Amino acid sequence: MHTTRSHEFQTRAVEALHDETLRTALGRAKDGFVLKRRLAFDALPEYEQLRDRAVAIKNHTLEHLDHYLERYEQAVIRQGGQVHWAENAEDAQRIVVEICSKAGATSVTKGKSMVGEEMGVNAALEAAGMEVVETDLGEYIIQLAGEPPSHIIAPAVHKTKGQISDLFHEHHAKYGLTKRLTEIPDIVNEARQVLRQKYLDADVGITGANFLIAETGSNIIVTNEGNGDLTNTLPRVHIVTAGIEKVVPTLDDATTLLRLLARSATGQQITSYTTLSTGPRRAGDPDGPAEYHVVLVDNGRSAMLRDEFREMLRCIRCGACMNHCPVYGAIGGHAYGWVYPGPMGSVLTPLTLGLREAKDLPNACTLNGRCAEVCPVRIPLPDLLRTLRHRQFQHQIGTRRARWALGLWSWLARRPGLYHGITRWQARALKWLSGKTGRLKAMPLAGHWFKGGRVLPVPQGETFMDAWRRREKKP
Amino acid sequence: MSAARDKILARIRTGLGRGTLPRESREALDARLDGTLNPDKPLRPRLPDTPLAALFRERLEAIAGTLQTLHDEAYIPGAVATYHASRQVTGPIAVAPSLQELDWSATGLEPRFGRSHGEELLCVSRAFCAIAETGTLVLLSGPENPTTLNFLPDHHLVVLDAADVLSHIEDAWARIRTRDADWPRTVNLITGPSRTADVEQTIQLGAHGPRSLHVLLINSPRVA
Repeated sequence: MHTTRSHEFQTRAVEALHDETLRTALGRAKDGFVLKRRLAFDALPEYEQLRDRAVAIKNHTLEHLDHYLERYEQAVIRQGGQVHWAENAEDAQRIVVEICSKAGATSVTKGKSMVGEEMGVNAALEAAGMEVVETDLGEYIIQLAGEPPSHIIAPAVHKTKGQISDLFHEHHAKYGLTKRLTEIPDIVNEARQVLRQKYLDADVGITGANFLIAETGSNIIVTNEGNGDLTNTLPRVHIVTAGIEKVVPTLDDATTLLRLLARSATGQQITSYTTLSTGPRRAGDPDGPAEYHVVLVDNGRSAMLRDEFREMLRCIRCGACMNHCPVYGAIGGHAYGWVYPGPMGSVLTPLTLGLREAKDLPNACTLNGRCAEVCPVRIPLPDLLRTLRHRQFQHQIGTRRARWALGLWSWLARRPGLYHGITRWQARALKWLSGKTGRLKAMPLAGHWFKGGRVLPVPQGETFMDAWRRREKKP
Repeated sequence: MSAARDKILARIRTGLGRGTLPRESREALDARLDGTLNPDKPLRPRLPDTPLAALFRERLEAIAGTLQTLHDEAYIPGAVATYHASRQVTGPIAVAPSLQELDWSATGLEPRFGRSHGEELLCVSRAFCAIAETGTLVLLSGPENPTTLNFLPDHHLVVLDAADVLSHIEDAWARIRTRDADWPRTVNLITGPSRTADVEQTIQLGAHGPRSLHVLLINSPRVA
């Protein structure tokens, strides 16, 4: 499995907040994603109905997941493909390495795949002596940098042009690059030239899957660059790695989800390339792979079916939740420490790695609810995060001080008279402390909390209940 | 391997709080799969009241594709030669075997008919159909239409019959399902040229696939 640094969340979040380059990169990206998504859905009056349909399709599939996986498997085999089942990341690694070794592979190209990141497949293949090349430009950039992705659809969103330019300068000298590239078209072109040869030389191509179709036994990938297609067409062997929740019954079902996926992710109606691969090349085909393998990965997914976290399995990995998350927008994806960042990552990471390893993630949320508002498959992310917090409390995870404070708050909240009295006093005290600015940058006994550069807006001397009563009295 | 399969399926059933589905339920699900029973008709976005070929063109051009109309298939080689010259393409070109019947002798292009290995900067394929909803071309792999032609060149030219412009994505699936052949290895839905926004969210065309996508729309005048 991909190594985790989720337990270092607090330290890394503070580091991220002080990283000026990161803030520049994130600021640029965020507004673009939010605006493009909004414009795309403004032009689609059927949006809310499509969301309802998408939820129904996903729920129906999950309720009958065993059946649809069996039907999907049958269809793949009927088309000449092979299906492998992996209970966890280690099994999936082993299966992929075995297929590649059997094929005598020395060189492997990869299309961007989040389940591939989950498995840590690159390290396993490299340990087996193979060259692994990421072909999505963003993934390629972070592979050169030796970093994990910081966003599920824009893996190098945290990098500026200058940093990418430096990486190419350092790593492409061996391909004959001498001058420093400063323009975006030149950077893209340099990657195109170098990767072109990698595609042609590769023995195995590994892609993920956005959908698996039970009706036809196809996998669907959506890309804009065309790298996924060169990866699944040119090598002799094509391996698809996919989570078991990716299956949908029919192509029509997938179409409803496709209409939401691209708009939610990049604001496009549809991506440049939407590709169905079904089995190996047919008799008489002049191109396409001779072998087609699918590795179905569980890695904690089946366990999510039993309770409210089943809703998380509807996720189609569009990234809208992180694009709209103020916490992600401030610290970027790396602080989350594993493969999936932002709100969806804060739910998935504790469920996969354990509540203790990822104890800060469910708490790195203001419960503002924007992620749930924009989720195309209506996953109640804030509710799930709150459930995780509740479980942490039950399992006595978290500092003693935090647990003691929560206990005190709970005691107080159940005594309305006392609660209102104390909050009234607090509101006045905070206003007095903030002076004329209306904001707090420090507070007695809480110096540590403000260390990361936080600013706290404070109440204006009156509680909500008091303000409400005052207005009621006015005719 | 099958041990893992059995364990995963068992865990799914435990998670769902049931055993294997009874036969009637499975039959109902299979009827939904093969299309004989679908309680919900797909929800299709409403399209403007424009002729399909015009809407297709509008949406293709919105994502940086280009299109020219030809009144007969016989004009294809000439149009390819003109494009070749106007874009100053050098070197050989590759053409799908499905277009081999046309007369290429006058063009001076000497195309290779078959797959590409990456030497050709211009390739010509034939679309199976197109989708007006999204400005998308649908290409099927097979001996007559190699997939490599769609991704390796700098310039991808695609021949499309105006009668094959369909309304929605679902219509393309329906047409592939009812065609008199096996399901193809690859179905490519192509919407504009290759692009990336991985460097500072700035859109750049021609990431790994074609830098330009040009449609030759065959619209034969109807004989009354």
